[in-house]
Amino acid sequence: MLKIEHLHFAYEKGEEVLSDICLLAQAGESIGVIGANGIGKSTLMKLMVGLYTDYEGVLEVAHHAVTTKNLDHIREHVGYVFQDSDSQLFLSTVEEDVAFGPRNYRLPEDEVERRVTEALQKVHGEHLRKKHTYKLSGGEKKLAAIATILAMEPDIIIMDEPSLALDPKNRRNLIHILNEIDSLKIVTSHDLDFIMDTCERTVLLYEGKIIADGPTEEILKNGKLLDECGLELPLRLQ
Amino acid sequence: MSSIEDRLHELNKLQNEQQRSRRMNDLHPLGKLFFSVFYIVCVMSLNKYDLTGVIYMAVYPAAGFVLGELSFRTGVYRMRLILPLVVFVGIFNPFFDRTPAMQIGSFIVTGGMISMVTLMLKGFYAVLSSYILIATTSIEEICYALRLLHVPKILVMVVLLIYRYFGVMAQEADRITTAYKLRAPSQKGIRYNAWGTLVGGWLLRSMDRAGAVYESMLLRGFRGEYYYPKRKLTAADVLWPLGWTLIIGALTIWRSWRG
Repeated sequence: MLKIEHLHFAYEKGEEVLSDICLLAQAGESIGVIGANGIGKSTLMKLMVGLYTDYEGVLEVAHHAVTTKNLDHIREHVGYVFQDSDSQLFLSTVEEDVAFGPRNYRLPEDEVERRVTEALQKVHGEHLRKKHTYKLSGGEKKLAAIATILAMEPDIIIMDEPSLALDPKNRRNLIHILNEIDSLKIVTSHDLDFIMDTCERTVLLYEGKIIADGPTEEILKNGKLLDECGLELPLRLQ
Repeated sequence: MSSIEDRLHELNKLQNEQQRSRRMNDLHPLGKLFFSVFYIVCVMSLNKYDLTGVIYMAVYPAAGFVLGELSFRTGVYRMRLILPLVVFVGIFNPFFDRTPAMQIGSFIVTGGMISMVTLMLKGFYAVLSSYILIATTSIEEICYALRLLHVPKILVMVVLLIYRYFGVMAQEADRITTAYKLRAPSQKGIRYNAWGTLVGGWLLRSMDRAGAVYESMLLRGFRGEYYYPKRKLTAADVLWPLGWTLIIGALTIWRSWRG
């Protein structure tokens, strides 16, 4: 489903942000990508959806190499939830925004309608359907942003800091929703408790390299390793 | 509330009005767009001395506000920035055209005075009819109608994105000015030497936000065209613009025929 082999990436020549990244992920997995600020987590996520294509190495998503030529196919199979939901929601109502993706793939209108309804049901956000996007609270915006991605029925969902700025109730709700989604999920977050609740596998990045890749509990209980990488134990383990 | 926040709030209220479930809102946007353009062309084509004809033309804005369940006061308030410009158009006519046209008691009404009022009313009606269109039709629907008229998709997307980015830029401007004011509480307005940095920062931040919005569009399959669900035409969708086109068209022809 996702294959990364010896991936290198630099914004400026000679200044590598990511180096020798190797990662294999299968359908249904839930992977947390953690690391300190500015370590390259968001860059890695953006590479996976083809926002940057000038990398070195192998990067295959849904059996296709991430190249400019394959972008349509890749974006049909990968959904990306932005850190800032305001960037994701740009149409007048939630309904229009959720329907934006399916309509771009020229699906029949009854299919678009079905997908919008199902996506909103999955995030328990049916009541948001006719609401204006600017009137939503932070938690509602996050749910609507996830629904916009679910409506595209992607095989892979990538989420950048999904729990950021959510209150405890909305955070708990989001954990519940994420655990109900069957697609391959890749979640970046500084909220290690959130990673513990939603991901069974964790990848730890440090200085642009993968330092550890394994079961979430094993990595997040290793205080020494986390400390070396500029992180701290999850609150519940402190 | 800051003035930018105030404007954003006003824009949001206008969007609320566009989304209302009212008969006029539910009409097909193509008919509304076509008739609005037709109305403006007809009004503008009337003779500049034909004050009576121009007064007759008030029938559409009047009916539009009533049938669209719109507040006239709010409409005029929202158009307050454009209206002075429109009114200014004919302001010098009384000085240039002093030909006596009629006499009311001892007061001589000149051709320039009539043409000034006529031009002002024409502009006023054009603004009102545009307002009726935008208060009952969302920007997405207007863009859909433009595409049905085969307006190039690049132009339509520019219209749609300018409208979207306007909100993004206003939000950024509001954040920056609020952050500035909170750290300069005793200061009135923004000091001139801070303007360069603030405007530069505002543009960079707006571009960043706009870039993120665009990335989000690309990631959801956007390929340069916004697709709107196809709408079936109802009898009302045809009768509304057709009826008004006949009324306004007949009025225009009648007034032109009278000279």
